[in-house]
Amino acid sequence: MAKRTYGSTFTDVLKTLFLGRRAATLSILEEEQVQSPYRTMLRNFSEKWSAMLGLYIFLAIFLAVFILPIFFPMDIGFQDPTQKNTKPSSSFMRYSKELDGAAVSIDGGSVFGVGVDASGKIHQWGTLTAKQQKLPTSAAKFVQVSAGLDHALALDENGRVYTWGNDRFTLSAIPPLVSGQRVKQVLAGHQISMALTESGSISVWGNTNLITIPVPADRQGTFTKMVANTTLALATTKAGEVVVLSSKETPFSYVPPEIQGKVVDLAVTERSAAAVTSDGRVVVWGGEDHGVQEIPAQIQGKTVAISAGRGHYTALLSDGTVASWGWNNYKQAKAPKLKNIVSISSAYFQNYAVDKNGKIYTWGLKGYLMGTDQYGRDLFTRLLTGGRVTLTIGAIAVIISGLIGIIIGSFSGYYGGKTDMLLMRLAEVVNAIPFLPLAMILSAIIGSRISETGRISMIMVILGLLSWPSLARLVRGQILAAREQEFVTAAKAMGIKEVKIIFRHILPNVITVVLVNLTLSFALCMLYESSLSYLGFGVNEPNATWGNMLYGCNDSTVMAQYWWRWVFPAIALSLCTVSINMAGDGMRDAIDPKSNDR
Amino acid sequence: MFKYVLRRLVYIVVVFLVASVLLFALYKSVPGDPARMMLEGNKASMKPEEYEARYQDAVRRLGLDKPVVIQYFTWLFNTIKGDFGYSLTYKMPVRQMIGVPMKNTIMLNVWSLIPVFLITIPLGIATAVRRGSRFDNAVQVITIIGYSLPFFVIALLFIFLFAVKIPIFPISGVQTPALKGTPTRMFLDKLYHMALPLSVMVFTSLGGLTRYVRATMIEALRMDYIRTARAKGLTEKVVIYSHAFRNALIPFITIMTGWFISIFSGSVVIERTFLWNGMGKVIIDALNQQDFAVSLAMVMFYLILSLIGNLLMDLSYGLADPRVKLS
Repeated sequence: MAKRTYGSTFTDVLKTLFLGRRAATLSILEEEQVQSPYRTMLRNFSEKWSAMLGLYIFLAIFLAVFILPIFFPMDIGFQDPTQKNTKPSSSFMRYSKELDGAAVSIDGGSVFGVGVDASGKIHQWGTLTAKQQKLPTSAAKFVQVSAGLDHALALDENGRVYTWGNDRFTLSAIPPLVSGQRVKQVLAGHQISMALTESGSISVWGNTNLITIPVPADRQGTFTKMVANTTLALATTKAGEVVVLSSKETPFSYVPPEIQGKVVDLAVTERSAAAVTSDGRVVVWGGEDHGVQEIPAQIQGKTVAISAGRGHYTALLSDGTVASWGWNNYKQAKAPKLKNIVSISSAYFQNYAVDKNGKIYTWGLKGYLMGTDQYGRDLFTRLLTGGRVTLTIGAIAVIISGLIGIIIGSFSGYYGGKTDMLLMRLAEVVNAIPFLPLAMILSAIIGSRISETGRISMIMVILGLLSWPSLARLVRGQILAAREQEFVTAAKAMGIKEVKIIFRHILPNVITVVLVNLTLSFALCMLYESSLSYLGFGVNEPNATWGNMLYGCNDSTVMAQYWWRWVFPAIALSLCTVSINMAGDGMRDAIDPKSNDR
Repeated sequence: MFKYVLRRLVYIVVVFLVASVLLFALYKSVPGDPARMMLEGNKASMKPEEYEARYQDAVRRLGLDKPVVIQYFTWLFNTIKGDFGYSLTYKMPVRQMIGVPMKNTIMLNVWSLIPVFLITIPLGIATAVRRGSRFDNAVQVITIIGYSLPFFVIALLFIFLFAVKIPIFPISGVQTPALKGTPTRMFLDKLYHMALPLSVMVFTSLGGLTRYVRATMIEALRMDYIRTARAKGLTEKVVIYSHAFRNALIPFITIMTGWFISIFSGSVVIERTFLWNGMGKVIIDALNQQDFAVSLAMVMFYLILSLIGNLLMDLSYGLADPRVKLS
């Protein structure tokens, strides 16, 4: 029985690749064994550090983009203008230590949070603009805060209102009506501010071009609480009724009649509203997105307060526990098991709960690892999914071009003569038309008739159909050299079919060179795809690829202020193509030791 | 020699014809009626009968009433004559429209040639001579990285470094808007705007070309005549620059021509990124505006360019190496 030699099995190959080569010490009487060509290749490859580094980096990227999206799925239709161009951070709910154990009032803004502690001091955390960092000062203690899109309001113990943050659209101009009276509740909304006075009147100021919140004059003086989303506001009255403050007829207008007169608390998401009645029941009306209408059964009859974010609700129950339901894209509807909670506050994608000792509990969106883009989408998940699309397009384009190139090159090289002439002219025609402009034209003409997802397949086919000539020429050259060898003559003499001779006898002899070429053109196809997408002629929004994430990033504002939008995709794409080329280069050297010098 | 050129010319014509048929078929498959698009702007201001008359007139003028074959030949002859059709967006003949962009593109590309040559040839030779040294290995890795990086990533990086962080160059454009002055002043302004796209173009070309020069030089240095030259006692300088380099030129010409052609299409990305008003930007704008006549003209231009480039490349083999017999 033959002795088993190291390197002869697949496991050995893997071991060599990942653990390095086993250095065998030979005694003076031994000779180094003669190696098979494949083992020599493997050895040459594993000895070249740049090739191995390239291989490892590529494998890491490959595993990351194919496995991680399972855990970080991308919601393709997701857009949220309140989260746009947020820089990478994880501090949305990292409240200051001083606040913990002494929290009086907490509110979450779009990407930040504001809180007041028992000594009346305001704390802020999260991603703050320069204007937001200038906190208001007052001799009196602050008792209440409210955070909006990019501004915040505070209320001191004398009922005076303070505002800071974004000061455009007259947000900084607190109306005299408000400053003259004692205010009970302040509310910072989407570029709008609202104040409710002790006497029950509501005042609205801010960007009224964006949202108009009409307050019916006959109801002024009866309001007890107000809530708002980015399009309208709702308020409760002393009589326990819900009033919709909107000039338009919306789904919000259809307040269930049976709750009117019994409402004790109110909350509003982007598309729906919820009310708690005096018997502890929760009623949701309006839209049904993200399952906001699926109120957990165990909270009915026990709810005392409710709060809402962009698409989820959190309810405080009479036994001091909390429950959340609705939109769960950032785990904001996954409430932890808490007890002795006395107040809750939800906003956007965050939740805060304060227990009777003033300790704070949070759940929901902590921040974005790589920031967000101009539509408020998380760049990290887009980068992963986009990488998968980019790699898939590159791979399938290479397979298409490989098939065409190998078939055409083989026939052309083997048969020669007229076939060769014709096929090589064809290759010349395809090669003569510059790649990028032609691909752009094809994409523009075909792309206008198919869906966005169809475009992905279209790009694969276009790249595959346009990039085969160089491979065909390479295969042709190799086959030309191989067909004169004895084994081909022998095969012919045995009467083997010509197609079989080409693909079973000759091709395996030249396949290594072809594989190297395919590896290098894989990187090239990825580059072409991303160039096309970058120019806007490849895969378009809302699908993500590394190329189209960079679309529109040559703008000076994006370059300077939103660096995360181009730095991360650029790094991912570059790392991937560089590593493939390094590995491919090493493969070429390994196969042909003579080409080591190239 | 003459026979060879003639045969190559016939090939070129055949390839050109086949490619032009393909492109024309592509052009015809575009949805939409070009005659209607031509009248799009003033549809509202016309009476129906007048519109109809103008429409028929446009159809006749564009030759849309004739059979497709006739249309193809008319188009082909016009293209060869240099009449590339009518731009629907710019409302003027394509030929008139592409004058300025063409000048800009050629200027950018020709200027980029000089630094590319000045850097890649000495660097390639130096690494080939010192093959296997630490210097060589470092250059090898850097050049792989250089040619693997996408054009636009390098462009974005350059913009970030030299136009945003250290604002010494303009971020985009060809000329300062509304600048009036002496021709020298205008020229300097243009050069100033060209600095960034030019550096990116040079930078992206370095990797591949350096590697290629190195490879051909190594091949040449291995030849027997080099050994002979050394044995004769010639100085290393003469051996490398006179004996080896001249022989390394042949494959180098191939890549040089290919690279020169590709830079016209490769500059699509750079021109788009720097909003450089060149041919690449024209083709993108044309496609975005559904102005397919212009984009087709561009591709025909590239096609002719690359075919002639290939011919010149073959001919220059003979010039670089008298042993090459053209047959």
